Amino acid sequence: MTDVQTTPVVTTLIIGAGFAGLGSAIRLQQEGIDDMVILERDKQVGGTWRDNQYPGAACDIPSNLYSYSFAPNPDWSRSFSGAREILGYIHHLVNQFDLARYIRFGTNVTGLNWDQDRGVWEATTEGGETYYAKTVVMAQGPLSNPGFPNIAGIEDFQGKKIHSAQWDHNYNLEGKRVGVIGTGASAIQIVPSIVGKVDKLTVFQRTPPWVMPRPDFETPDWQKLAFRKLPLSQNALRKALYLAHESMALGVIWNSPLTRLAERLGKWHLRNQVKDRWLRRQLTPNYRLGCKRVLVSSDYYPALQQPNCKLITWPIARIDENGVRTVEGIEHQFDCLIFATGFNVSNAGTPFPITGVDGRQLNDEWKRGASAYKSINVAGYPNLFLTFGPNSGPGHNSALVYMESQINYIVKAVRTITSLDLKGLDVRQSAQESHNRAIQKRLSRTNWNTGCKSWYLTEDGFNATMYPGFATQYALQMKEVVLKDYRLLPHS
Amino acid sequence: MAKIDLDKMLEKIKSSQWSLSDVDWDAPGAELITAEQWPKLKAFMADLMWIEHVGARAFAAMAKKAPDDTLREIYTYFHAEEQRHANAEMALMKRWGMLEENELPEPNNNLRLVIEWLDRFADDQPVYVLGTVVPMLEIALDGALCKFLLETVDDPVCHQAFELINNDESRHLGVGFTVMEMQGHGKTYRELARMVAQLMDPRLILGIASYFPLLNKMRDNIIEMGLPEEKLYAAMQKFEKIGGRSEDGRRNPWFQIIKYHGRFVVDRGNRFYHKPIDALVKVTDAIPRRAFPAVPSWVREITYQTTA
Repeated sequence: MTDVQTTPVVTTLIIGAGFAGLGSAIRLQQEGIDDMVILERDKQVGGTWRDNQYPGAACDIPSNLYSYSFAPNPDWSRSFSGAREILGYIHHLVNQFDLARYIRFGTNVTGLNWDQDRGVWEATTEGGETYYAKTVVMAQGPLSNPGFPNIAGIEDFQGKKIHSAQWDHNYNLEGKRVGVIGTGASAIQIVPSIVGKVDKLTVFQRTPPWVMPRPDFETPDWQKLAFRKLPLSQNALRKALYLAHESMALGVIWNSPLTRLAERLGKWHLRNQVKDRWLRRQLTPNYRLGCKRVLVSSDYYPALQQPNCKLITWPIARIDENGVRTVEGIEHQFDCLIFATGFNVSNAGTPFPITGVDGRQLNDEWKRGASAYKSINVAGYPNLFLTFGPNSGPGHNSALVYMESQINYIVKAVRTITSLDLKGLDVRQSAQESHNRAIQKRLSRTNWNTGCKSWYLTEDGFNATMYPGFATQYALQMKEVVLKDYRLLPHS
Repeated sequence: MAKIDLDKMLEKIKSSQWSLSDVDWDAPGAELITAEQWPKLKAFMADLMWIEHVGARAFAAMAKKAPDDTLREIYTYFHAEEQRHANAEMALMKRWGMLEENELPEPNNNLRLVIEWLDRFADDQPVYVLGTVVPMLEIALDGALCKFLLETVDDPVCHQAFELINNDESRHLGVGFTVMEMQGHGKTYRELARMVAQLMDPRLILGIASYFPLLNKMRDNIIEMGLPEEKLYAAMQKFEKIGGRSEDGRRNPWFQIIKYHGRFVVDRGNRFYHKPIDALVKVTDAIPRRAFPAVPSWVREITYQTTA
């Protein structure tokens, strides 16, 4: 049994060793806080990029923007790097900033409990160990639990089942009859990568995505050299990419003439790559661009038109032992079914029970949709910081840009707690509510809330995921820790 | 037929699915088709199958224009279900030795025109135009053609397949008439004005030019099979009876048009209608095959194979 009084209390406990967790650790360390522990449920760092190693996995944001500004990488091999290279970058971060010493691998957190008397968070784990910390950073990732679709008979299938986020690299797809369920971000990368290997590929689509051309090219050596010798040049490119993506917000987030322009580009891309009128009709989205995630690919449409590939848009009736039965009455038989069906997004719950002041349960409070103050704090849960918390998701810019804003905010808040020797920094309920009223009002005018079904929304259509604005606006919101919005709890 | 709750209907549709492999297409009974029946049945089945197939395409267009998510999903299912019916009917043709391996029966010229029209213009039509025409075609099919078939053919597999098909069709009709009533609900004058504008749309006129001869062609096929055409008319009159059962239904201007058109079709004495339309059937029959453009790729989606 753990001795509560003698077990050390660290300044910061970070849950998850993906981009957010490691980034937080780096910035805390840079600010002189190295009294921390990172708990990681897996045996490796990398989070999303460790799990998503399916064939063709890559980022759909340019690498020079999908990386930390405080840890630039001059050696990105392509404009849009693959998952393996991004994972390599994450490993490089661990080495460069000597983060391994903080990480406890194979440690799955099962609960967080606020000890009101001591002003300490207590983290229980699957292995039975308990960790204590003054502050906690939730960096378990919003997209960390693979989600299987709710299709009748899914358990009956006797062939191989693979989820895109749990790829089985030992399974040989060569010569197999393969079905891909889903046509989202993962599927449009998997399909072109495997169509040349398999005997037959059938892609099941419910809703067609908006797909834009992907300007992907190899980085020339001179550019890598320039970035190494002149880091300012890489910084300039990053800024240019940032601004280019910021301008996309005008078309993606709000309905504007730029939305029409982007839709035209999407339709041009489709017309250019797909000559058959019916197939084009099947692939034409029936909803406003931006309502769901806009995808980028220049090889998805050509892959669908390979002789061994077939797009099925009939609704799925059920899955049976041999394959997928669609409503037009045909049983599509497969050796392997790939579920590119995304994740169980935690926009309506917490990954494990979190107990705050006076025994309140965050899960209960978030039952009807999650909400937080500036996406990062929740009233009644002092010293608990969320990364990728409610309404922090970008639709048009790099997630890491948002993440940096969050991390810097966390660092400032942790420094405030330690320098003022506070027991707790607890956001005021009124500040949280007024923030969310404004957010929801702004959200109601965005493309995400125009009626399509997406993972951004809960079953009831509540948007607890996206931030309705520019990344620059978000960064401004996160620039200062406004102490008047918090209750400063002193040690008694 | 009472007005239905579309959300409950969608659940019902989802829980009532069947596959071609639920029917044993090799079971005994195929020999019950007589030599005399065989050639007529072959032509009849090919037309029936194609009518189901073009009906499917009409539902695809309606799904695109549906006014809400529930109706969109219902029409998406109906699109697939009509295709399933066409597939099942093709499987029956295969069972009866009417198709070679991988053979696709040729659609008649009227159907080719309808296919062409659907492919080019259906997606641009307001949902309520197709939403009124399709129930008329379905009721003619459901109440007449399929019924005739079951009265004529003794093969138990045919009966089994059509029991499944007819269960689907009754749901299609239930939704069809409910939507017609929704359309008629309290907006007569506005709709009337809009309808007049739509009627002047050349794309719709082309549609009418393909639809009118199709019904006459169906009638001719029925007579060809030695069946009384009155049964088709009785089925078409059901459209008038059910569609006009409520104030809302009667207020739907499209219902009124299709109803009056139905009356013309049924009245063989109306030479002003039948002479030109029959002439149109003859003209379309005379169009050489090569005059038609290549069939759209959705046409080739049809299959008698139970698995893929």
